[in-house]
Amino acid sequence: MRKYYYCAKGIIYKELLRFLKEKSRFFSALVRPLLWLFIFSVGFKSALGLAIIPPYESYITYETYIVPGLVGMILLFNGMQSSLTMIIDKEMGSMKILLTSYINRNFLLFCKMFATAIVSTIQAITFLIVAYLYGIELTFSGVLLAIPIILFTSIILNAFALFISSVIKQLENFAAIMNFVIFPMFFLSSALYPLWKIKDSSLLLFNVSSCNPFTYIVESIRFALYLKFDLFTFYVICISFFLMLSLAFIGYKSKKVLKKS
Amino acid sequence: MKTNILELENVSHKYDKAMVLKEVSFFIEEASFFVLLGLNGAGKSTLFSLLTRLQSLQSGSIKINGFIIQNYTKALKDIGIVFQEPTLDLDLTVRQNLYYYGALKGLSFKETIASIKEELTNLELDEKLDTKVQKLNGGHRRRVEIVRSLINKPKLLLLDEATVGLDLKSRFDILDYLRTKVQKGDLSVLWITHLFDEVQESDSLAIIHKGEILATGTAETIIAEYKQADLTQTFRHLTRENPDA
Repeated sequence: MRKYYYCAKGIIYKELLRFLKEKSRFFSALVRPLLWLFIFSVGFKSALGLAIIPPYESYITYETYIVPGLVGMILLFNGMQSSLTMIIDKEMGSMKILLTSYINRNFLLFCKMFATAIVSTIQAITFLIVAYLYGIELTFSGVLLAIPIILFTSIILNAFALFISSVIKQLENFAAIMNFVIFPMFFLSSALYPLWKIKDSSLLLFNVSSCNPFTYIVESIRFALYLKFDLFTFYVICISFFLMLSLAFIGYKSKKVLKKS
Repeated sequence: MKTNILELENVSHKYDKAMVLKEVSFFIEEASFFVLLGLNGAGKSTLFSLLTRLQSLQSGSIKINGFIIQNYTKALKDIGIVFQEPTLDLDLTVRQNLYYYGALKGLSFKETIASIKEELTNLELDEKLDTKVQKLNGGHRRRVEIVRSLINKPKLLLLDEATVGLDLKSRFDILDYLRTKVQKGDLSVLWITHLFDEVQESDSLAIIHKGEILATGTAETIIAEYKQADLTQTFRHLTRENPDA
């Protein structure tokens, strides 16, 4: 067990070092959701009326509604950033160092996802603090409960990103993934609009959004922030966790690590 | 009697339909310096990626320290690896890079530095521990990678074209350092290269060409067997190709 502890510690240590050294990455990850909160939501709040929907017990402003979605955005884009790093690592060769360890490869990959999730969680909490200072109604206990949920759901998105990095052989293909996977995943979810609003406009988009795991990631954060629990959402994120983890592990099975050399 | 630290038996590998390794067999005895010599495209890097489990074995068998490669948690435990391309994180210091690698070998930060104290001194790196890797020259970066590969006190060190891009002095400093460690009985080395001047007559050697092993033995006995003047002539005789071309 000792070797697993030191191994996990080393991987988290490196990820945190990178995080501290790349301050621009931290700020750019924060600026994106803040722009949505300060600008996008202000423009949309008059156009969008929101009914009382769980977990909210009264009418809420649009800014309040999109905060959990923007936390999801941080996790999603941070996971993708990490995936990008993995592709660079693969091209530069440093990924090989990780994969040639004698310690169980799935454990190493899990540690990598967990380490990235810690960084994402720090960014998400920072965003929530700024949102609170901006006037969004949040409670300390809600944020506290949301932390493990943010960490857990971040691992799901990191596993998905890891799987993508195993499929992409070259960095140039990353832009295509952003356009065809990440943006649809974000927009076809309940991050920006409640599902019933989408249903009013298009049944097809509603059905697609209802099948999108990211919808449930956002909803789980939303429920946690308001100290509520939704069993169905919990089931979906648990299933997503095991599914994405399996995909990431399969993606990095040895025969798929290297392209022809 | 010496035991074998590495055994390859009938290892074949193909990409789609192209056969890149054909029934490769050889073994490395403990405490020996073994050179795998071949031109670019001979299959050396593919073989290296099979030994390090970056690619799955398709056919044949590889045993490291008595364990089959599929049992990688045991087979890879006592090996050190130096890749052809640089694998250090340039934004981190030497110490931070070593800590990270040590952790991947299951060692604490303290144990990591303690285990390579001697190597750091011998390779004149102890004063560069807190220097960012990007500030080091190519020779020093390579030395850091050599030291890093010794963190877990490996029984077998695998090096793939480890001196490519280095000046003559740096190349032979690294070679001499590793040969000394082998002579002390601390280590076995698989030195994969295309550079003929890195082979000494007493070295155990396998010549690989187009995925096939053409000759094995010490460099001296191979040259004598084919009645050639030197290793370059022997290689030309065996492959009908000019290694200098």
